Amino acid sequence: MSKPKLQARMSRLTFTEKIKILEKLRDREKAIVAAGLRQESVPKKARKQETQQELE
Amino acid sequence: MKATLEAINQMQADGVIGKYAIGGAVGATFYLAPAATVDLDVFVSLPDPSHLLVSLSPIYEYLQARGGRVQDEYIVIGDWPVQFLTPGNDLEREAVAQAITTKVEGVATRIMSAEHLMAIALKTGRAKDHNRILQFIEQVSYDPAKLKDILERHGLNTKWQNFESRFLKE
Repeated sequence: MSKPKLQARMSRLTFTEKIKILEKLRDREKAIVAAGLRQESVPKKARKQETQQELE
Repeated sequence: MKATLEAINQMQADGVIGKYAIGGAVGATFYLAPAATVDLDVFVSLPDPSHLLVSLSPIYEYLQARGGRVQDEYIVIGDWPVQFLTPGNDLEREAVAQAITTKVEGVATRIMSAEHLMAIALKTGRAKDHNRILQFIEQVSYDPAKLKDILERHGLNTKWQNFESRFLKE
């Protein structure tokens, strides 16, 4: 299945179904960070100082 | 998520917060295909907006007394790290006021409209925010007339034109 078709199909799921997927994605991310395979993402406060003025 | 939303709803019923609305990636997921995120952004109006200094302390105290755990800028409720944010401008206040009601696992909650999520993403302007706007456009998950109205009323037309010329024109 192509990516656009898959995204369209996923977007039609109920919100509850989508939240379940989000929770699986979140848990996978946590497991990857815990295993040292990826660094934890930059805290939000720091991220907010990043590219805020790109479109100014 | 169910426990998280139940705790937020109870906090609202107990008068600690006024109206609230979920924004950010989780809010966008209501309209789009799910995209990975580790936290839940909840915009809250506080019951007494007359105070010049807005404090989230009552929220933290309330939730910590009920098992919430502070972790960096989040408070973990159930199994979700939640970041509570007070609306910082008229756009965000309107987004909270006009949020739509839905249910997750049978629990009622409020989500920002697609058009408000797009306008806030445009105003914030990080790469991931631009990506989210593009997803809304690609998946035709918004009302263009409503978005146009919001952008005009909140002074975001120039930013939108810049976004269009950068991302939507060949």
